[in-house]
Amino acid sequence: MSPRTRRALGAITAAASLAFLAALSRVPYAAEPGADALLRLAWRARGERVEQCRRLTPAELARVPAHMRQEIQCTGRIVPYRLRVALDGREVINELVQAAGARHDRPLYVFRELRVPPGPHALAVRFARVRTVPATARDDETTTPPELRLDTAVLFLSRRAALVTYDEEQRRLTLIAAPRPPPPAR
Amino acid sequence: MALPRGLRRALARADAAMNRLYGWRYNPLYHSGALVVALLLVILATGVYLLLFYRIGAPFASVARIADQVWLGRWIRALHRYASDAAVVAAAVHALRILAQGRTWGPRALAWVTGLVLLFVIFLCGWTGYVMVWDVQGQALAQAGARLLDLLPIFSEPISRAFVGERPLPGAFFFLNLFAHIALPVGLGLLLWLHVSRLARPGLLPPRRLVAGVIALLVALAVLWPAALGPPADLFQTPARAPYDAFFAFWLPLVRPLPAGTVWALLAAGVAAAVLAPWWTRPRAGERPAPSWVDERICTGCEQCVQDCPYDAIALVPRTRDVRPGASALVAHVAPTRCVSCGICAGSCAPMGVGPPERTGRDQLVAARRFASARRPGPRDIVVIACDRAVPAAGPHAGAPGALVYPVACAGSLHTSVVEYLLRAGAGGVLLAACPPRDCWNREGSKWLEQRVFHGREAELHERVDRRRVRLVFVASGERDRLRRAVAEFRAALAPLAVAGGETDFAGARECAPSGGGAPR
Repeated sequence: MSPRTRRALGAITAAASLAFLAALSRVPYAAEPGADALLRLAWRARGERVEQCRRLTPAELARVPAHMRQEIQCTGRIVPYRLRVALDGREVINELVQAAGARHDRPLYVFRELRVPPGPHALAVRFARVRTVPATARDDETTTPPELRLDTAVLFLSRRAALVTYDEEQRRLTLIAAPRPPPPAR
Repeated sequence: MALPRGLRRALARADAAMNRLYGWRYNPLYHSGALVVALLLVILATGVYLLLFYRIGAPFASVARIADQVWLGRWIRALHRYASDAAVVAAAVHALRILAQGRTWGPRALAWVTGLVLLFVIFLCGWTGYVMVWDVQGQALAQAGARLLDLLPIFSEPISRAFVGERPLPGAFFFLNLFAHIALPVGLGLLLWLHVSRLARPGLLPPRRLVAGVIALLVALAVLWPAALGPPADLFQTPARAPYDAFFAFWLPLVRPLPAGTVWALLAAGVAAAVLAPWWTRPRAGERPAPSWVDERICTGCEQCVQDCPYDAIALVPRTRDVRPGASALVAHVAPTRCVSCGICAGSCAPMGVGPPERTGRDQLVAARRFASARRPGPRDIVVIACDRAVPAAGPHAGAPGALVYPVACAGSLHTSVVEYLLRAGAGGVLLAACPPRDCWNREGSKWLEQRVFHGREAELHERVDRRRVRLVFVASGERDRLRRAVAEFRAALAPLAVAGGETDFAGARECAPSGGGAPR
């Protein structure tokens, strides 16, 4: 191979490598293929805390350092909720939502995304406490109600997301971003 | 291992092709590791400029404004991105190269593991960088990452909730992201130091001409083909078709259909396989080369092996054994945990007192004598002393008339007395076939060999040896033609010389008893 040919081939290889680099840095891709709309359910709920308390015996108390002695010891957890979602009368989600944390003593977080064919749909969301107990002193107005419901008609637009979330001030589920379907023609 | 062997073959072909085009001095594959450092410096310089214009309150708009600066911002942003992509490619080539060459185990395991961490941190830097732009790609990367991170029980609140769309993303998110994007490179510096900490003379930068060429090409690409900017992120819009960077977002289509738990399991398996490479690529227990040892009876404490060792594995320590009048106060000591058994110390020791068992200078002379008696090189014969890595290239010459192949573990471990012995034994010439210097598996073997043979470095080839009968050629394992040409050219150069007379008064076996190998006696 003559030096001139080698130089030319070297230049072509370098140019091809760069073109390859640039092409791979802009590969057309759709992270969400298809024209489906998205139903996003996302909220944070402060559930009812259930505690089991017992009084420590004097012997047990004696084993604890003086500054850590508490006569009553409680272990608690947040009561789970059941999430049910129906679209046009057909149930698409039915699952138990446990409170976060290893001991299930943190708030409940709901985050689900569902692909939905574009168009008008009847949406029904239920978020209800499971195995609830009589209201306690800790079940105040900041606690999420035992049952949340949302029944509405939604017009899902192609590739747009409709968000169902919990409004802590109104204490109810609300729908954001998706416009309501137009009223039926008379 | 089958995988490294297959990789090695592919690499040999690629090396040979690149050597033909650019020569071994500027072969980018040989400089892949150093190129990463050079590219990181480019990324750092361009990143400082971009930082001046980036606004965490309006991430996409500020990046779009940068991209609109036709004279500077547009191509600097593109250079920042292309240099990042090239850094990933160079780091991947470097890692594959080390894996293929089986240089992952023993004392090199630290460099391997820190190299993997470096690659991971480069990925993290890229990930945060793309999220900073906050276009469709940044959104997809952020949401996919959040989905995976949510499975880890370390966050008080699911990260995905930040991308619900109920409220605009807070500036704190972009501030944290920017902080990570800037802080991670600081960690890169520390990791890089660890990565090369076991090397005596790490080559951190490629040759200037190669750096200049690579940067010039990337600038040209950035000017001619500016980096793409996708549509702005919209949390109420499913990510549309947009340009994605395959070097940093290649995992998106792979993980999209899989549950987060499966992705973590696959990732853990992949990471475990990579991190454990030092374990699964190392030779079997009986086949692992032993570290060098020092024969203290011979060691003069001259320090040459300390200087030549590429891994800082040898130090001079006070002599405790074999103390006799005239013996040096200091003696070389090999740290077995740092020694990779390259044997370069064997070539560096004039009195032949150090080296891996059965590969010290004295052992080499014994082997050379055995070779000479078996092959009986004649005055028209050329002995090709070929580095083991170059043997595949030298193979065809084994049966070629007049070219006798004498393989050695590493050309850098060759004691120059072997060259002299073979010439005295009757060979017309000795051709040293060593790996190209930047491709030496033992880093500096080829460099030291050249200096010992032609430039008088300690343990030099004796001045009485006719240098016209010795030639050094740097040849990669895939370059058969090149070696064949070198043999032919050397033969032509030897033709006008008077026939070398085989001398019989130099008997290595008598003068230097074999070391026997093993522990110092």
